[in-house]
Amino acid sequence: MTKAREQFAPPQKTVSLPSSSQRPSRRKFLKNAGRAIAAGVASAVPLRGYAADLVNIGALYPTTGSMAQIGVGCVTAAKLAVEMINEAGGIKSLGGAKLNLITSDVQSDTTVTRTETDRLISSNKLSAIHGCFASALTLIASEVCERAKVPIITGSSSDQLNKGRTYTFTPFARASQFAKAQLQMSKLVSEQPKVAVIFENTAFGTATSNGLKELAPGEGVEIVMFEPYSAGFTDASPLINKVKASGANALFSVSYLNDLILIVRTVKQVGLNIAINGGSGGFVIPDFYKNVGKLAEGLQGVAHWNHDMDDNAQKVNAEYKKRAGEFLFEYAGGLVAQTYMIADALERAGSADPQKVREALSTLDVSTGFAAMAPGGRVKFGPDGKNIFGRPVGVQWQNGDLASVFPKDDARAPLIKS
Amino acid sequence: MLETVAQAVINGLLIGGIYALVSIGVTLIFGVVKIVNFAQGEFVMIGMYITFFLFNSLGIDPLLSLFVSMPVLFVLGALIQHFLIRRVLGPNDMPQIFLTFALSLLLLNLSLLLFSANYRTVHTFYSDEAIHLGGLYIPVAKLIAFVVAMGLSGALWVFLHTTDLGKAMRAAAQNRDVATLMGINPNRVFAVAFGAALALAGAAGSLLMPFYSAYPFVGQVFVLMAFVAVVLGTLGNVVGALVASLMMGVAESLGIQFVGADSGLIVVFAMLLLTLAFKPTGLGGGRVR
Repeated sequence: MTKAREQFAPPQKTVSLPSSSQRPSRRKFLKNAGRAIAAGVASAVPLRGYAADLVNIGALYPTTGSMAQIGVGCVTAAKLAVEMINEAGGIKSLGGAKLNLITSDVQSDTTVTRTETDRLISSNKLSAIHGCFASALTLIASEVCERAKVPIITGSSSDQLNKGRTYTFTPFARASQFAKAQLQMSKLVSEQPKVAVIFENTAFGTATSNGLKELAPGEGVEIVMFEPYSAGFTDASPLINKVKASGANALFSVSYLNDLILIVRTVKQVGLNIAINGGSGGFVIPDFYKNVGKLAEGLQGVAHWNHDMDDNAQKVNAEYKKRAGEFLFEYAGGLVAQTYMIADALERAGSADPQKVREALSTLDVSTGFAAMAPGGRVKFGPDGKNIFGRPVGVQWQNGDLASVFPKDDARAPLIKS
Repeated sequence: MLETVAQAVINGLLIGGIYALVSIGVTLIFGVVKIVNFAQGEFVMIGMYITFFLFNSLGIDPLLSLFVSMPVLFVLGALIQHFLIRRVLGPNDMPQIFLTFALSLLLLNLSLLLFSANYRTVHTFYSDEAIHLGGLYIPVAKLIAFVVAMGLSGALWVFLHTTDLGKAMRAAAQNRDVATLMGINPNRVFAVAFGAALALAGAAGSLLMPFYSAYPFVGQVFVLMAFVAVVLGTLGNVVGALVASLMMGVAESLGIQFVGADSGLIVVFAMLLLTLAFKPTGLGGGRVR
């Protein structure tokens, strides 16, 4: 029985890596197949010691539902990262064990995220998890991971992820840091920045904008309007009407893609001359430019990762571009680095046990290679799981590409003042 | 201050015109066929995708694509009525509810499969233009959408009140059994009503396209407003739905302006609850017209 399983295991490894461009039904089928096979392999391991040739990594991303488009990109990047690590010889301290990516669709929904995370952990022997793009989803997944004692590493920016958690690691800039960078960028445009802040009323929007509000006085920036809005609105006009009335000369919009397109268009229609900083989220993905077109030129944003940062990032970007046809966006690029951080931890732990991987992650300190592919160039987690060297990068849309423009150390192109 | 209010009212009326097209469709189907069409929003979505693909591959302006999206959806509506809805019409409401709900889910996931979850936008020369009057501005694309929406609503009203088929539809809406006894063929009337309602949804899709993104879930945004408008304006009442939609657009806009940008819907729902508390049959006074 056991023997038969082992014989079947190797060819199935490839099956468990479904490609993202496929249709949901097929993907789901492959995913389920992969899960079943992985479970079989995992249960076979304790019986024969030498068969430990797969290390399961969970990836939680919304590949259906309203955030599907970003989730699908994330899964493509996650697969790319795993392939890169496996092609380079896998985890050497585990006898060249290959990483096995097990993806799970959290469907852009908090309830589904809870059950899917639970299911992923209970039906597979996972060493670590990464996910879930939206902070609202990641917060839930992180809770489940804490309870199940499986480390989760995430690019989500909510500062809440660093509170009272021991299995949650955040290698990139936090929402509060984003705020600081955005405020500093507004001073590049005007010496007396009067900022209007509009944000969607979600965990992501509230966290980011509260950071802005708290830090503005210290940065010498005046906030003349501070307003939440319901995500997914039909009309941005009343909101922009308010921005106009506030007399602001800079607009910070903390929004996902669809709302932001509406906002940028409406600003143009109103004829409002205002420097727009879209923050992160929907603003720093290729689709934004595709949808907004020339209107996007000169718009600023902040990201926790950008594809032009260093040679490694450019290398990964080139490979991703081949597969997805678009440049590697912030969140997906970040999770490639995250996968390498997990690999580094596995390497040092010499074990696929999630507890030991957590220990190894907590002592991670890298400043070279793909794992250090982050603004700031170094990853070392503090006791709260926050990368003490993490910082955001200021970006601007220039000629259809996203260029790093801030701070000086990370800038790859000068800021264009419109 | 006055200027701000005026601008908010303009914004509200303009978006209210789009709500009207969706809600008139829902109310027409409810009034005549006596079913609630949960899939109405998905037909708006189909209208948007038709418009998007016509623009993207053939360069046809969204306004011209009205002449494609409306007939296509009319035929689709008549077919759906004939082959699906007709079979579940009966004393029991549940099969009808399940049918339209299933249709909504089917269309949603089908579009996700075919078109992916990407946001598709059409950029016409008037997409970002606006007419500036004093301190006020009127976005051109929305103004066009509003005018066409009102024109179509008016045309529907004229159709319902002057043509034999229209009168037959109103008769069937008022009393199906008596209408049948008077020699009206209900199946034909129902097919036309369903088709017309979907044509309006298609029109809404085409008119939205120059200023709103198409994505599989887009219908859900508008259908919620449509249901509120339909209840507010009395179920089955076309004029009521139109007036209620415009009121809701304005209420939402004023709510965003003066209560908070995340409270636009609070004002709308408060309006609905108050109306239902004092006038349980809706603004149309319970009359179906």
